[in-house]
Amino acid sequence: MSFSENAGAPWRVGVLFSQTGVTSAVEQSQLNATLLAIEEINSAGGVLDRVIEPVIYDPASDPKQFRSLAERLFQVDRIRLLFGCYMSSTRKAVLPVVESHRGLLFYPTLYEGFEYSRHCIYTGAAPNQNSLQLAKFLLSTYGNRFLLVGSNYIYPYESNRLMADFVVQGRGEVLDEIYVPLQAVPRDFEKVINRIRKTSPDVIFSTVVGRGTSVLYEAYRNAGFDPAKMPIASLTTSEAEVAEMHPEAAEGHITAAPFFETSSSPSARRFVSSFKDKYGPDAPVTAGAEAAYFQLHLAMRALARCGSDDPERVLEELRDSEFDAPQGRVRIDTENNHTYLWPRIARLDKFGRFQTVWNPGVRIKPDPYCVVQSLDDWSIDDLQTISH
Amino acid sequence: MAIQILRDLRGLRVLVVHPPDNERVRLVEHLRRIGCMVETQWPVPDCWADGSDVMLLAVEHDVRSDIQRLLKSNDGLRPTLIAIVGYEDPSTLQLVLEAGAVAVIERPIRPFGLLTNLTIARSIWLEKRETEKRIRKLERKLSGMQRIQKAKAILMDGQGLSEAELTKAFAARRWRSGCRWMTWRLRSFTQMNSCSIVQKMFSFAPRQK
Repeated sequence: MSFSENAGAPWRVGVLFSQTGVTSAVEQSQLNATLLAIEEINSAGGVLDRVIEPVIYDPASDPKQFRSLAERLFQVDRIRLLFGCYMSSTRKAVLPVVESHRGLLFYPTLYEGFEYSRHCIYTGAAPNQNSLQLAKFLLSTYGNRFLLVGSNYIYPYESNRLMADFVVQGRGEVLDEIYVPLQAVPRDFEKVINRIRKTSPDVIFSTVVGRGTSVLYEAYRNAGFDPAKMPIASLTTSEAEVAEMHPEAAEGHITAAPFFETSSSPSARRFVSSFKDKYGPDAPVTAGAEAAYFQLHLAMRALARCGSDDPERVLEELRDSEFDAPQGRVRIDTENNHTYLWPRIARLDKFGRFQTVWNPGVRIKPDPYCVVQSLDDWSIDDLQTISH
Repeated sequence: MAIQILRDLRGLRVLVVHPPDNERVRLVEHLRRIGCMVETQWPVPDCWADGSDVMLLAVEHDVRSDIQRLLKSNDGLRPTLIAIVGYEDPSTLQLVLEAGAVAVIERPIRPFGLLTNLTIARSIWLEKRETEKRIRKLERKLSGMQRIQKAKAILMDGQGLSEAELTKAFAARRWRSGCRWMTWRLRSFTQMNSCSIVQKMFSFAPRQK
């Protein structure tokens, strides 16, 4: 019998989000949301009269540290459920450890797809739940000449491949594809700005992640470009990255995600206001945070049903389970362990707040192994809900 | 053939192109256990090193441009290529296909399966080389035969020789001397009629035996 099955002892869970390093802003929001959910459950009496005790480390946005801290969590702290990871490189570093200990990882981040592990529940968007919708919106609103810019790692390459495919389907043109280091500095974006000036695209699709994001948007603003005609569109520019830039640099740019801090449903308002009560009015609430929040609730509800933190039994309970998340009712797909989500698109206003411009009110089934997606998968009717 | 490939794994020169880390250490250890002569290299080299039979190449996106430069290089003999991958999304697989890898090792790298992959990769690679050689030989032969057909047509047309006569004359000789004979006939014919085909005929009728 493991430690966590002793009556009265707390349920120990592992939490790995970077509090330092290049993607710490968004990961801090995911950590905050995880701890908020734990606090909510504990203050309501815990799970089966036992409180949840998070064991938290700071892996500093570094895959190697993610791996060794995951090993520590399973071997020394004896956790069985792990919540964490943002960049794909860190998930890839952690997963073999989770698998070898027969644990279960809850991963609350959008990613490039093409993965399935029995030992992972994916609660962020797969490309068919954000890229497709964003491409359709951009092509119909701004035009079909795209310039792609990204951080130099796996997610941007795959994400850009997919976007380039959509652009070709829209009879458009990819003018250039530029990669900057993960630890980008202003100098790295000089070439990007020069190429934008030279090619004047209709859209700049950015897969830059972490700190480099605000550097790109600031450089764009300093160059005097007009976001109304040539916006930066992204899947990874969240409230956390926007908080690092001047509101003027953010204004007019586009992001697709299943949740925004400004989402107006009652459950979204409740979640955001509890979050702000706990962490202050300026703490950003991101889509990653929302996924981190609902996945912890989902996991603990499954745990309460089976009375154990044995990953096999928790998995059994999670199959096809539904949950009223802040974004809407979500569901874990039995076949691929990914989550049914609600795609949305928003534009940043002059206060740096996301204002929804497209919200079809449709929940999309995750399809992580979709190589070629067709723009026609969305009908004209869906697009008529766009308000300009 | 099959057992020979397994025998040849001992002493096989393997170049591991992989960032220096624990995974590489364990990979090299296991290749040595198998009996290969292993060298390591990082970053990705500019051209194919002559001294290796097999290259294990880490296909990482952040060195994509280095890999593409290596693939374009024509220096040195291309070794049997085995890709090491951490992802299986289409953009990674595209890079693996473009590299011409004949086997793939996935991360985390485990000792089990490495021997199988090395064997399959060597077998496919050697077979592929053999097939390419054969195809080149057959292509040369085919184009030779096409020229002979053309020469025959000219001779039949211009010197009134019949197809049967030409075929008989050719069959009585070996392939090369048959070609030489045909060239000689053509040359004497085209002294009267300037014809560029005779120039071409020279090229496939070597003077030496």
